[in-house]
Amino acid sequence: MMSTYNISKMNKDAQMRATINQKLIETGERERLKELLRAKLIECGWKDQLKAHCKDVIKEKGLEHVTVDDLVAEITPKGRGSWGTDRLGRKRNEVDVKTKTSTLVPDSVKKELLQRIRTFLAQHASL
Amino acid sequence: MKMEEMSLSGLDNSKLEAIAHEIYTDLVEDACLGLCFEVHRAVKCGYFFLDDTDPDSMKDFEIVDQPGVDIFGQVYNQWKNKECVCPNCSRSIAASRFAPHLEKCLGMGRNSSRIANRRIASSNNMNKSESDQEDNDDINDNDWFYGSEKKAKKRKSDKNPNSPRRSKSLKHKNGELSSNSDPFKYSNSSGINYETLGPEELRTLLTTQCGVISEHTKKMCTRSLRCPQHTDEQRRAVRVYFLGPSAPLPEAEGSVENDSFDVAESQALMSRLQWDGSSDLSPSDSASSKTSTNNSESRKTKKKKPHLSLVGAAPGLSSNKKKKPKPPAPPTPSIYDDIN
Repeated sequence: MMSTYNISKMNKDAQMRATINQKLIETGERERLKELLRAKLIECGWKDQLKAHCKDVIKEKGLEHVTVDDLVAEITPKGRGSWGTDRLGRKRNEVDVKTKTSTLVPDSVKKELLQRIRTFLAQHASL
Repeated sequence: MKMEEMSLSGLDNSKLEAIAHEIYTDLVEDACLGLCFEVHRAVKCGYFFLDDTDPDSMKDFEIVDQPGVDIFGQVYNQWKNKECVCPNCSRSIAASRFAPHLEKCLGMGRNSSRIANRRIASSNNMNKSESDQEDNDDINDNDWFYGSEKKAKKRKSDKNPNSPRRSKSLKHKNGELSSNSDPFKYSNSSGINYETLGPEELRTLLTTQCGVISEHTKKMCTRSLRCPQHTDEQRRAVRVYFLGPSAPLPEAEGSVENDSFDVAESQALMSRLQWDGSSDLSPSDSASSKTSTNNSESRKTKKKKPHLSLVGAAPGLSSNKKKKPKPPAPPTPSIYDDIN
């Protein structure tokens, strides 16, 4: 297992992330976090806002011609928070920079989720 | 595995923080993706726009947010002056007073049911004079009347001194007086204990209100001069009793129907005689009860056959009674039977 990876720093990080993700899924914590986030986002109106945005997109493109990719491309940057880079480290595009100012996810939700992730990490780091 | 954990524990805080944020974005993107799938499925299955209506009808159901109206844009105090029509007596009553009225009119509740039952019985059986006699005690009942609707409306406009809102001073007075009155007197009656009144008070009282003494409570009726519970004859008798024979019955004369005037006159005369004849008795119970029974009788005849009472009954009655100062009591079961 170790032999397949280089000892370089980048690979070590990637490996560690993979391990953490695996642990998240294995313990079921990821599923729990997803459920929590979903409930919170519905509660705070995030889902409704995005749905309204979906409507605009669909009306613009035409009911028949909408694809999942269109929706994902339109919705994900809007629904995501206000970070400079995405998961893969790419810079955000123009639209993302604009939406950065109007983060849809409330701070309280974000903080709560981050707190739970941190405790999870702390638990598994201290093992 | 062991090594991974060791390396994990060896991470510094900033790295842990970065990982936490990454996981967070991952989760948010997952949620976004879930939503996209959901919406896409809804679009393709054709139910995405189902909850949309056309903008015109949406405008109809917009929530109104203006002062003075509710969310439907209606003025919210429009029911304030709503009137209800009583199904029993078909009078229209303010909605806030409707329940108390129904209680009395239909006869729910402790007191009113007894009263109402008596009334129902009496309206079914007109020659039962008992109920009529006991009507004098229904001081607390302002809503019900023997007479037609017309009469009731007329009275409604009258100032009713016994109405709970207007009788504050009287009630206060009454409460004071009843504290030193006899123990068997009804302390909660709204009448006036005439025994404790001075002559001036009596005079002003009798010029402003009915004043007929109830044989039940031994107190004076505090209603208007046209109070329908008592007849003019009863009022006259009381005035004669208190103020002497010269005292007139103020004002209310005009309300007496013309065809029964003979009866009223003779009744008054007769009752005056009775007062003289029965001076040895306690005036409060025997006299007033007798006058009231007589009067109730005359009321009955008035109601049923006005011309008969004019021609036949009235002269016969009066002449008969003039000879005997103490007439045999009319066939009325006394209320004292009920009490004892």
